[in-house]
This record gives sequence, C-alpha cells and structure tokens, in this order.
Amino acid sequence: MSVGTVYQAKVRPFETRRLNGGRWACISPVGEVAFLDAQILELLRTAPEEVDGDLRQRLKAKHFLTSSAPTQGLDRLYASRLAEKAATAAGPPALHILVPTLQCAHSCQYCQVSRALDAQGFSMSQDQMLAACDTIMASAAETLTVEFQGGDPLNRFDLIQLAIEALAHHPARQGRAIRFVIASTLHQLTDQMCSYLRQYDVKLSTSIDGPAWLHNKNRPLPTRDSYARTLQGIELARAALGPDSVSALMTTTHHSLDYAEAIVDEYVALGLQDVFIRPLSPYGFAKRNLAYLGYSTQDFMRFYERALDRVLWWNGQGVAIREAYAGLILNKLISSFDAGYVDLQSPNASGRAVLVYNYDGWVYPSDEARMLAETGDTSFRMGVIGKPLEALLSCDVSSSIANQGDASGDPDCRACAFKRHCAPSPVDAAALAQGGHAAPTRETEHCRRQTAMFDFWLHRLCDVEGRGDTQTADLLARWAQPSSMAGAS
Amino acid sequence: MREVLLASPSPTSGIFKVSSLAGRLVTLTSSSLGGEPQRSIVCQLDGSACLVPQDVVRLSEGLNRVIVAYRAADTHHTLFVTNQCNSRCLMCSQPPTRQDDRWLFREAMETISLIECPPRVVGVTGGEPTLHAAKLRELLDFAHASWPVTAVEVLTNARQLGEAGVAAALLEGLRPGRTTWLVPLYGGADELHDFVVQAPCAFDQTVGGLLNLQAHGQSIQIRTVLIQPVLDQLPALCEFIAKNLPFVQTVALMGTEPIGFALANAEMCLVDPSERVDEIRAAVATLRLHGLTPVLMNLPLCKLPAQLRPFAAASISDWKNEFAPECELCQLKPRCSGFFTWDKSSLHRTRITPILRAEHV
Repeated sequence: MSVGTVYQAKVRPFETRRLNGGRWACISPVGEVAFLDAQILELLRTAPEEVDGDLRQRLKAKHFLTSSAPTQGLDRLYASRLAEKAATAAGPPALHILVPTLQCAHSCQYCQVSRALDAQGFSMSQDQMLAACDTIMASAAETLTVEFQGGDPLNRFDLIQLAIEALAHHPARQGRAIRFVIASTLHQLTDQMCSYLRQYDVKLSTSIDGPAWLHNKNRPLPTRDSYARTLQGIELARAALGPDSVSALMTTTHHSLDYAEAIVDEYVALGLQDVFIRPLSPYGFAKRNLAYLGYSTQDFMRFYERALDRVLWWNGQGVAIREAYAGLILNKLISSFDAGYVDLQSPNASGRAVLVYNYDGWVYPSDEARMLAETGDTSFRMGVIGKPLEALLSCDVSSSIANQGDASGDPDCRACAFKRHCAPSPVDAAALAQGGHAAPTRETEHCRRQTAMFDFWLHRLCDVEGRGDTQTADLLARWAQPSSMAGAS
Repeated sequence: MREVLLASPSPTSGIFKVSSLAGRLVTLTSSSLGGEPQRSIVCQLDGSACLVPQDVVRLSEGLNRVIVAYRAADTHHTLFVTNQCNSRCLMCSQPPTRQDDRWLFREAMETISLIECPPRVVGVTGGEPTLHAAKLRELLDFAHASWPVTAVEVLTNARQLGEAGVAAALLEGLRPGRTTWLVPLYGGADELHDFVVQAPCAFDQTVGGLLNLQAHGQSIQIRTVLIQPVLDQLPALCEFIAKNLPFVQTVALMGTEPIGFALANAEMCLVDPSERVDEIRAAVATLRLHGLTPVLMNLPLCKLPAQLRPFAAASISDWKNEFAPECELCQLKPRCSGFFTWDKSSLHRTRITPILRAEHV
C-alpha cells in the first residue's frame, strides 16, 4: 500500500444535529462531538478523503474518521470505547432501589405516591426485605448501589437496618463494594441513626427546592417548617457523617420558574457541591396537579439556562458547584466512560441496570413504573419480591422493555441524533396511553425533556468551542466525568 | 557511552567487573553466567582514566578503549540491548544501525550478574528492544529474578507489541507492577505520529501495543518529545491520550536531546521550551483534568513558569548532564535537569536565569 492511500480517510458511524446558526453537531457513539459547517459536513459524508489536513487529523483523533490502511489497533480501541459506553446497559443490575415504606409526613403537591404516617399497609414486611436483599446479592455487578426511597424511608429505619445488615454480611457479597444511599427529607434523622449509618458509610440524599419560602410552598407540613427541619437534618448529618455525606436534589414547579438564581444561591449558601435542576415528573399525584404545577418544556429550558448560568457564574467566583443534569448529558456527549445514569441508556436499561423493590411486594423496572402502578397501571410488575434474579431479568416485562426500548426499532428514535445515548421509555409511553395505545415516543415527557437538554448542551459546547473559552470547556469536561457523579441517581 | 583508556590494548573481549584497584592497576573479573568459567585479568589504566570497584566495563580485544557499561556511583543506569530499530524518528538521539547485535542482550545479562548492589531503577533501551522479543523477555525475567525490588523501565515504540504473538511471548505471565513501559506517542492521529517516527502505520501499531500492555496489566508511561510539529498539535495529542488511553500512569513531555538526527533536522527539532510555555501549560492542564499525571523532562526549571516547575523532573541522567556557570547561583539547581553535556547549542544555553528565591517548588 502506498503512503498516499495509507492515510486516506474513511468515515466511522456518527449522527448529526443541525444547530441554530447553521452549524452542525456531529455526535459519535464513543463520546465525542465535533461542530462543522454544512459544506464541511457534506464533504465529510461524501468525500472524506478531501477533508483538509488539520481537520482530518482532528476528526481522526475523535474517531469520526479512520484511515484506509489496516487499522487493527485503532479498531480495537474503537471497539473498547463502544463497549465502555454500553457498560451500564449491557452489564448486570448495579442499581437497586428499596422502597421500605410509602409513609411520609409531607403532603407535597407534586409527590407521586406518598401516604400519611398513620396509613396502614404501606410498608414492606421483614421477609420481603430479606428476600429483596438476596436478589440484590444475586447480581454479578462488581459494585452495587443500594438506594432507599419512599415515602420517607427513615420512617422505617428498622427496615433500613435490616437490609443493610443483610447486605453487608451476605455470603454472596464476596468483598464487593456497596454504596448505600438514603433519599429522605431528613426530618426524622437522629444522632442514633447517624452513628449507625457512619459504620456503613451511608450517604444521604435530600430535597431542597430553593429558599425557605419556595421549599415550604412546594413541601407543605402542618407546621410549615419543612425547610428548617431539612436544614437541621443536613447539619446533623454533616456533623456526624462528614461534610460530604449529604447531597440534595431540587424539583422545579411553576412556582420555581422565576427564581432560578435564588435557587442556585441557596445551594451555594448551604455549601452543597451539586445542584440538580430537575423538572417535574408527571406521574402519580403530580399528574393530577399538573394543571396547577406544570409548565412547558420551553419554560423549563429557559429556567434551566438561567440556573446554569448562575452556576457557571459562581464557578467564576471560585465556588465549585456543579449542575448535575449537565453532568449527565455531558457524560453522554463527551466522556469516554458511562456514568451509569439509568434514564439515559440505549437500549433502555429499566429492569436490567436497575430494579425497584417496592413496599407492595412487587419488583418494578424503574421508579416511574412503581409510580404508574399507584395510579392503577400495574402492567410493569416484573414479579413478586423473592422471584429469582434470573427469572426477573427474563420476564415478559423485561423483554417487552428491551424491545420497545430499543431505539433502532422505534420510528421516532431511528432518525434521532441522540439514539446512541438515549432510548424510548416504554413506561413513559404507557403513562400517556390513551385508549390502550401507548403514546408515540416523541410525545413522551422523557423524549421531549432529554432532546431539549441534548440540544441545549450541543449549542453550549459549540459556543464554548467557538469562543475558545478553555476555562468553561475544562469545567464542563470535569462535570462529564463519572467520578464527579457521586451525588446523582 | 562513556569510555576510559587502557595503557595498552586489551588482550581479550567481554564484560568484566572491576574487582579491585591498586594505583593504576585494575583487576577485572568476568561473569560466570550460564556456567561460563570466570576469568580474571589485570590491566593498566591510562593516566586520566577513572574506574572504581563495582564498575562494569566492556573490553574489546586489541583496543585501548574500554566502554563503561555500568557505573555503580550513578543513579541512572541503562542496559543497552540493540542498536536496531524499526522507526527512524526525526529527532532520534541515537540513529539506528542494521547489523545483527543480539550479543548485546547476552552482555546485558552478564552485566546484571556482575552487579553486587541492585540499583533502584534500571532502564532497558536501544534501538528498539522488542525487535528481539524472546531475548528481551529472557532479560526481563533475569533482571526481575536477580533484582527483586528494582524497577525496570523499557523504552519501546510498542509497535511490535500490537501483534498478539509478540505480546504473548513478551508479556504473558510478566508480573504487573515490576516493569514500566515507556512508549513515545507524537500525535492524536496517524499522519503526524507516523511522520515524526518516519514509519507508515506506526501509530496504529503503537495503539495496538498500548492496548496489549494494558490487557496484561503493565505500567505505561507515554513519552512525547516536544519537537515543533508535535508542539503545534499538542492539545489534540493530550486530549487523545486523556480520552483513549486513561490507563497510562504518567505522560512525560520531554525537551529534545540535541544530538543525532535532531541536529540533522534542527529546524523542526530544536525548540526553546520557554517559547512554547503556553502549549505546555495547556497540555499539563488537560492531562490533569482527566486524572493523568504529567511529568516534564529535560526542561531546565528556569525555562518554565513557576506553576509548571512542580511537574518537572531532574530527568537527564547524571552522567550526561551539566550546568552553566550561571546555574551556580540558582536555588533550584539540585532539582533541575540541567543540560545535556553535549548540547553546546546556543538555543538551550541562552536565557538562563538563576532562580534566587524559590517559592513555588
């Protein structure tokens, strides 16, 4: 082979998305993006060998192009990068959500599912909890994340302890790392609980919706002191478990929309290193209150951009705070590794990468699926708690999610630029079902929201690159790394 | 290579250890490696020659010149195993030759067998050591067995290691953590790298070699010599390393050794690092951002801004570095690489600024 033909460029697969302003984003499945003018993209597609030398080198380094010569080394590298990006979707279940109880002291307007503290029949039995632990330990995952959700799981600390003991000392654990997380308002947190949690390095994930008035409006208690009590819980946990033991999430209601900066500032004031600007999830009770609490995707994105700019501004002031949703999207677009975020996998990884063991004795493929069950659609039940892991993973629900959650089989996804980083959500489609027919993917909340976020971030990345803003580029590259994701689930 | 002179031509050839010294009379003993009978001879050194007990030398029959293969007092030790190479790098400090020199592996093993005090670290270099994979493996096994706590560093372009058979022969069962592979990489894509090493397909082969080293759990240091075309594309290279080779332990960015081909290609190869500080700073930032450890080598500290100095290593072997008269005033001299002894080029020897108050190291 002559030297001239050795380096002749050949195209590898990639997707494209047109950006405002006429440029195109090229998206490689291995976690690379490139921004090109229309005529360069045309050249890349039709006559890659004619792409200019410097650009050709850059596109080769990012795996949009390869050479005509035998490239066994680079082909292996490319294959290992593809495998790395698919590790979560292809791997054994690593995230296990335990819902010991639906009891909660709050009556949040957007809450999907919770029940009052004196409500009967909304907790798991001890036997169910132990059976769930056996299933978790049957997973071959090298490291496991076990997350307690509710309700407010601290209302049944006895069940949490039962599970942690069972898992930590399980014969099938075999030295594997288990990351325990409790999602809670922290109102019920006590010194005694903390001294127990410290032994197992349990992390706490709580909710802060913004300044006190907003938080209390979103999260009503008869005593109207939800914010103050969560803050007390945070203080207690930090003192007992360490400064990094608590992370927080916020939920955006339409009350939040005008207060993006104040919400971010609240996180900065509380010394939190992450703020997750999350839209409302239209499930359960939230669906009923949607007319009151809801807003359009466009409204959310305007809010998101303001909040993000405030986060970036704080970073410019030397305050290291990360916007977690950005981290998840950027991880998909520009990182070599997958952060393991279950909602952004292709094919959809519900019921494979994640399993939810619910208070009602059933196993569900996702948080959304158990919430759908609360409104009467129980079609996503994978089996009762205690059914062997292998049987759960091969049940009808799993195979139907695998089929319907495959982007290549979905007419809306097939043409989508993000299909290697995202896939249809059958649970979401069922939530919007009308007359027994699941909604088309493009109409699902999942699709609208993720597409808008991917688009937003492509524009941002293009802008940062165009301005030669290496400081922001470095910050975003850091956010994209899986190691920075500790707080997100 | 360092040499000393004998007062009269050597009566024999081979690797010998200095076992004792009396005035200018030196007693030399050969290795008994592989059951060879041990030989002892006495030679007279030339007036200026300096050898001490434990040094290892190579005698050549009929020649007064004696090569010093190992000097016990040094801190940097090198086993030179071949002068053959499958690349022709633009800045090669030691242009390769073609003749069969496999006997050098035997000499390297004899040298190891004669050394009484194991060094902390020893380099294996060429030429391209992996051209003779079986011999290299034999040498590595012998070095690890003889010196259980010595770190062995192999300088290789890793091209051969991309082939499954070579990789298996060289790496199968080689205990991780004992050998570090120092692998040069010059670009994020084939055209630039292949141009620098003057060998088509080299980039792809080296990438394959790096993957095989990783698959066998070996430690890797990427080595990038900062010549002009490499500096011009340094951000792309660092991003490539960060995103594709996150398993490497360290990335060394190195000043050019101004000798050999580097002088023939002076226009491309001789760069004053102080003029490219922006690129070096950006490269260090990118590597650190992705959790990699940058090391700056062969770059005198006064040519680097204060915030880059903590990454600089005193990397020029002690037997081939020296300092300028101005350096005597510098507080950082003990931590500085200094200059290559044979580098008399005005390029590196100008703008030396002794650092009088060292606050940032």
